[in-house]
Amino acid sequence: MKKLLIFMLLLQTAVLLSGCYDRKELEEQAYVISIGVDMTESEDVFRFTFEIANPEVGSAVSSPSTQEPVQEVVSVLGTDFLSATSAANVSVAKEISLDQVRVVIVSEKLARSKKFIHLMQTAPSIIDLKLNSQLVISKEKAEEFIRTNKPKLESRPHKYFQYMLDRAKETGVIPEAPLVRFFQITEGDADLFLAPFATTKKDPKEEYGAEDNYKAGEVNIKGGNSTQFIGSAVFKEGQMIDILTGEETRFSLMLDTTLPQQDIIANYTDPLRPGFDLAARVQADKVKVKIDYKPTGKTNIDVYVSMHMNIFAVPSTQNYMINSKNRNILHASLQKQLQEEGEKFIKKTQEKYKLEPFYWSLHIRSKFLTIKDYEKADWANKIYPNANVRLHVKVRSLEFGKLLRESDLRKVRD
Amino acid sequence: MELNKKPLRIRELTAMIFMIIGLKGGDTTPALFADHAQNAIWIVPIISFLFLLGPFLILMHLLKKYKNYNLIELIFHLIGKKAGTLLALLLFTCGFIAMFTDMRNVMEEINYLYFPNSPTLVIYVIFLTICILVANKGLETIGSLAWALLPVIIVTIIAVIFVDLKEAVLVRIFPLFGGGVGTVLFEGISKSAAFLEIFLITIAYQSFHQTKYFHSGIYLGGSLSFMLIVSFYAVYAMLFDYNSINNIAFLYQEATEIVALGHFFTNISTLFMVGWMFSNFLRFIIFLYLICWIFGAIFEIKRFEGLLLPIGFIAMILSLIPPSFVVNEMFFRERSLQIMTPIFFLFPFLLWVASYWKDRKK
Amino acid sequence: MFPWQKKKKTEAVAKQKNTKISRSLKENVAYLEEQYLYGTNFDFNSKELRGSTGRYHLFYYSTIIDTKQLNEHIVTPLLETKRDIPVPRIVTLSSLSSVKNMDEVEKGLSAGCVIIFKEGMSEAFEAKIDDFKHRAVEKPENEKTVKGPKESFTESLPVNISIFRKQIPSKDLIVENISIDSRPTMPVSLVYARDLVNEEILENIKKRIKKITASNIRNIEILEQFLEERPASLFPTMLYTERPDNAGNYIMEGYVAIIMENSSSCLIAPITIWSFFHSPEDRYLRWAFGNFSRLVRAIAYFITLFVSATYVAITNYHSQLIPIDLLLAIASSRERVPLPIVFEILLMEVAFELIREAGIRIPSPLGPTIGIVGALILGQAAVEANIVSPIVVIIVALSGLSSFAAANYSINHTLRISRFLFIFAASMYGLLSLLGAILLWVAYVVSINSFGVSYFSPATPSNRSPRDTFFRMILKKEKWRPGFLNPKDWDKQ
Repeated sequence: MKKLLIFMLLLQTAVLLSGCYDRKELEEQAYVISIGVDMTESEDVFRFTFEIANPEVGSAVSSPSTQEPVQEVVSVLGTDFLSATSAANVSVAKEISLDQVRVVIVSEKLARSKKFIHLMQTAPSIIDLKLNSQLVISKEKAEEFIRTNKPKLESRPHKYFQYMLDRAKETGVIPEAPLVRFFQITEGDADLFLAPFATTKKDPKEEYGAEDNYKAGEVNIKGGNSTQFIGSAVFKEGQMIDILTGEETRFSLMLDTTLPQQDIIANYTDPLRPGFDLAARVQADKVKVKIDYKPTGKTNIDVYVSMHMNIFAVPSTQNYMINSKNRNILHASLQKQLQEEGEKFIKKTQEKYKLEPFYWSLHIRSKFLTIKDYEKADWANKIYPNANVRLHVKVRSLEFGKLLRESDLRKVRD
Repeated sequence: MELNKKPLRIRELTAMIFMIIGLKGGDTTPALFADHAQNAIWIVPIISFLFLLGPFLILMHLLKKYKNYNLIELIFHLIGKKAGTLLALLLFTCGFIAMFTDMRNVMEEINYLYFPNSPTLVIYVIFLTICILVANKGLETIGSLAWALLPVIIVTIIAVIFVDLKEAVLVRIFPLFGGGVGTVLFEGISKSAAFLEIFLITIAYQSFHQTKYFHSGIYLGGSLSFMLIVSFYAVYAMLFDYNSINNIAFLYQEATEIVALGHFFTNISTLFMVGWMFSNFLRFIIFLYLICWIFGAIFEIKRFEGLLLPIGFIAMILSLIPPSFVVNEMFFRERSLQIMTPIFFLFPFLLWVASYWKDRKK
Repeated sequence: MFPWQKKKKTEAVAKQKNTKISRSLKENVAYLEEQYLYGTNFDFNSKELRGSTGRYHLFYYSTIIDTKQLNEHIVTPLLETKRDIPVPRIVTLSSLSSVKNMDEVEKGLSAGCVIIFKEGMSEAFEAKIDDFKHRAVEKPENEKTVKGPKESFTESLPVNISIFRKQIPSKDLIVENISIDSRPTMPVSLVYARDLVNEEILENIKKRIKKITASNIRNIEILEQFLEERPASLFPTMLYTERPDNAGNYIMEGYVAIIMENSSSCLIAPITIWSFFHSPEDRYLRWAFGNFSRLVRAIAYFITLFVSATYVAITNYHSQLIPIDLLLAIASSRERVPLPIVFEILLMEVAFELIREAGIRIPSPLGPTIGIVGALILGQAAVEANIVSPIVVIIVALSGLSSFAAANYSINHTLRISRFLFIFAASMYGLLSLLGAILLWVAYVVSINSFGVSYFSPATPSNRSPRDTFFRMILKKEKWRPGFLNPKDWDKQ
C-alpha cells in the first residue's frame, strides 16, 4: 500500500512537472513558410510579412470541407526578425514558429539599399530561422509578392515554393541561394552573390528571344499563376547591384565549381540554317579553373568547360545525325556559340561589376599560405578585373535523342 | 560472484578514449581554435598532438617500466609522497577546471539550441544527475556502456560527415595556414591542454585485463580520435569560409543545420543530436569518474564513488560563475588552457628525470 | 525466516528420520496407518496378504501406481509362492529395492512405490510401479517455429529427462538431483554436460538451490524467482524455455538446465541478454534467412521500446525536426483532440495493454469479443470521437505489434514496462531526458550479471565466443564455445 502511494505520488509529480519550459503542443504553433521583408520610410524599421500555413487545408483526416483559407498572411513592422515575430503574435493566436521557413523574400528596393546587410546580420543569431532557407529577391514589394502569389495546383503553399525553386534550378535559370551562402560570400568579400529573382507582376517583352533570355516578369505567359522565377539578383558586398537574365544566370552556374551541375535544356542557333534553333540538353562536367597568378602583371585564368550535349529537336530538319560533315559543322558551331556567349558574359562581369559571380576566388587561394597574404593580394579589386580570362569550351559528345534521322519535309509536302 | 576478473579489454578502452577525446570534434573546442587560426583550424590539433606526443610517450614508457602502478601511484613512487601529492593535486585541479569549463559550454549548447526557454540550471541538474547515477556504477559498467553505445555514435559521425561533404568545398581549406604559420603554431601549442584527458586516463592503467591491452587501447583510441578531430575540423573549414568560421560558436550543430536531405528532411540537425548527446553524456561520465578517481587515489579513499556527488555539484556551481558562454569559452577556457599546457607538457619529463635519478642511485 | 521457526522444523524432520522399521509387522502397520491417516485418506491403501509362506503387508497410493503391475508382479507371486524364499526372488520387478527406515518408506510412497513388509523382518521392500498422470509430449505452444523439431517438454520429470537423453546421447550428460529443503521436499534436477560446464557456475547454482528454505516450491516458475539475484529487476536472468531442442543447444554450449517435476519448461542459467533475443529457429534457418529474421526482430524490439517515446519527445519539444508535410498533417489531426500528446499516447498504450491482458485471461469461448471491442472502440470510434488522433493509433498499434515479435515471453514484459518508463522520461524533458533514460537503462543492462556472467557479453566485456549477438555467424565458422561461461572445453571444432 505504501509503495503504491509512493508510486502514485511519483507518477503525479512526473506528470505535473513535465514540460514546464520548452514543451509546446504541435497544434498550438503557427508555422511560417515564408517571410517577406520590405523597406519603410524610417531608417531601421522594416515591414515583415509572414505567410503562415493552415494545417487543416489539404489533409484528409480533418473535417470534409474546411472553409478556412490555405494560408494566413500577416504583415507587421519590426526592426529584426525576432521582434517582428513577437509583434505578429499580436494578431495570430498561435505561437509563431520560424522553424519551417523555406524562403525569405526581400524586395528589390530593400536589397539595393545599404540597410539590407544590417538586416541580414541579425538572421544567424536566431535559432529558429534555419540557415538553409532560400533567399529570393522580388521585383515588387515582398508583401505584395506573397499576397498575389496564388498557386493553382498546390494546395499547400510550402509545396509551391519547394517545387518552383527545384524546377527553376533544374533548368538553371535561377541560382541556389541559401542564407548560409550569402554569408559565406559576403563575408569572404571576394565574389558576387546571386539570388533568385522573382515577381508576380507581368511586364512581358513583345519579341520572342531565346527561351531564357529573360528576367522575371518578362516572360509572356497566359493563364496560370502570375508568379515567375527567372534570372538572378547580383549582390556585391551585401548590396544588390544588378539583375542577370536567365541565360546569364545559367552561365554563372555552369562556371561555378562549388555548385552541383545539373542538366540544362537550352536553345542554340542552327549553323546550317541560321533562322532555326536547335533544342539541346546540356550536361556540363565540373569546371576546371587554372589560375596562373602573377603578383605584378596580368593574371591568367584558364577555365575549362567540357560538355555533353543531347540534341532533341532539329526543326530545320537538317541531317546532322548521319552526315558526318554536317555533324562536324554543328559540333564546331555549338562550341563556338557557347564560347562566345560565355566570353561575353565574363567580359561583362570584368568590366561592369569588376567582380565575378563564379566563386573563383577559391581557386587562387592555394597560391597563398596565409589569409593575410591572400587578402593583401586583393582578388576583388586588383586581380580579377585585370585578369586575362580564357574560356575553353569543349563539347565532348553529341547525341541525337531517339531518332535516327529527321524526316525530309520536302517529301512530306509532296 | 565474478567469473571473469577485470573483464575490460581493448575495445572498451578504445571506446572510452574515443568518447572523451574524439568527441572534442563536436563541442566548442573548434570555435576556440578557429578564433585565430581561421580556416587552418584542422592543422591546430595536429600540432597539439605532435606537441603532446613526446610527453605522452614518456609517460607510457614509465608506466610500462614500473608495471604495477597507475598514474598517481607512479607519481608517488617516483618523486615521493609529499612532492607527489603536490603534483597530483595540480593535475587534479587542471582536470577539474577543464571538466567544468567544458561542461558549462556543453550545457549552454544544449540549452541554447534545443531548449531555449529553459534555465541553464534545470538542464544542468538533469544532465549531471544522470552522469552521476551512471558513473556510480563503476568503471566496468562505464566501459561496457561506452562500447554498447558506440554504434549509435559512429553511425551519427559517419552520417554527419557524409551529409556535410555534400556541401563542403575542398578548396576552402586554402590558404593552407589560415591566420598565419606563427599563429597556428602558437594556437596548437598553447591550447594543447585541450586534450589533457589522454594523460588523466592513465589512472586506469591497472584496470584492464592485461596492461598490454591498455597500451593497444590507448594508441588505437588516440589515433582514431585524432583522425576524427582532424577530419571534423577540416569539414568545418570546408563548409564555412574563413570569415564565417570564427563567428560561429557551435560548429557541429551549425554544420548539420545548413544541409538538407532532399525535400523531406529539411531540418535534420536534431537527428544528429542523438549521437551527440549520448557522447556528451558518456564523455562527462568518464571525465567525472576519472577526476574522482584521481582525487580518491591522492587521498587514498577506496570507495571514491561517494565523491561523485560532491565533486560533480561543486563543478556545477563553479562553472556557473562566468556570466555567459562567450566569457567562459573565449576568456576563461582559453586562459586556463594556456596555463595548463606547460604543466602537462613538463610533468612526464619530471617523472622521467626522477626515474633516471632513481636508477642511477641504485 | 526467523530463527525459532527454523529450529522447530528441523526437530520434526530429525524425528522422522530416526524411526527404524521394526521386526513386528503389527507395529509397522500401526505406525504407518497412523502417519497416513488410514481410513480418512481415501486413496491410501493398506493391504494384508496371507500367503502360504508368511504374512505380507502392502502399502500404496492406489491413484499413483499401476494396478495391473501390482496384481501381476507383486500380489500374485506373493500369494502363489510355495517356498519361503526372500522377497526379491519372489517379486520379479527390476525396481525392487530394500528400505531400512520409515523416512525412506515415506519418500517411496509419495514417489509411487508399493511398500512390502514381511512379518519378522526389519526391512521392507519398495517396488516402483508409479503411474503418475501427465500430459503427453505435445507441440510447443509459446515458442513456435516453422522449421525445427516440434516436441516440447511436458509436466513429468522422467519424460523430460528422457527427452534430454534423446537429444544428447552421451555419457557426459549428467542429470544431477538436488533436493530443495522445503515442505514438501522437492527434487530439482540440474542437467549439464560434464565435460563442458564450468564448475564455479555449477557450484553457485547448487549453493543457491540449497540455500532456499521457503516452503511450497513446486515448479521452476517459482524456483526461478528464488534463484535470481535481483528479484525486483526488470531483466530476467534465467531463460525459460519449453523447447527441448533449445535447451539441448544450450547444454552443449556449457550452460546448465534446471528442471523440476510439474513444469513443462526448463530454466537455462547463466544467461545473457542476447539469448532473449534469439530464437532456436535462427540456427535452423540458413545463415541469410536466420539473420534476416534476427534483423526484423531487432527492428521490432527498437520500435516497441522507443517509437512512442520518440513521438512524444519530438512532437512536444523538437517539432523542427519533423518534415513540414508530416508536421502539418499531425497538427491538423490534433486540432480537435482535447488531450496533450503524452496523455493521448498513454491512453492508447494503456488501452492496448488492457486488450492484451484481457485477451490472455478471457475464457476462450468469449475470445472473439476482444477483437471486436479492440478494433472498433479503440481503432475507429476513438478517432471519430476526436479523443485521439489517427497517427497515435498507428504508433501505438505499431509498438504493440512489435512487442509480440519478442522471441521470449519474459523479455516481452521487460520491453513493455520499459516502454512506459521511456514515455514518461520523454515527456519530462524531450530528447534530453529520453536519451538520459536510455543511457541509464543501458548502463543497468551492462552492469548486471547472471550467475557471474555479464549480461551483455560477448559484446562487452568481450571474449572468445561464437559472437552470436545481433547476427550469427555461418555455423562452420563458429570456432569457440561462449568464452564468458569459461567452459572446460573452449574449442568447438
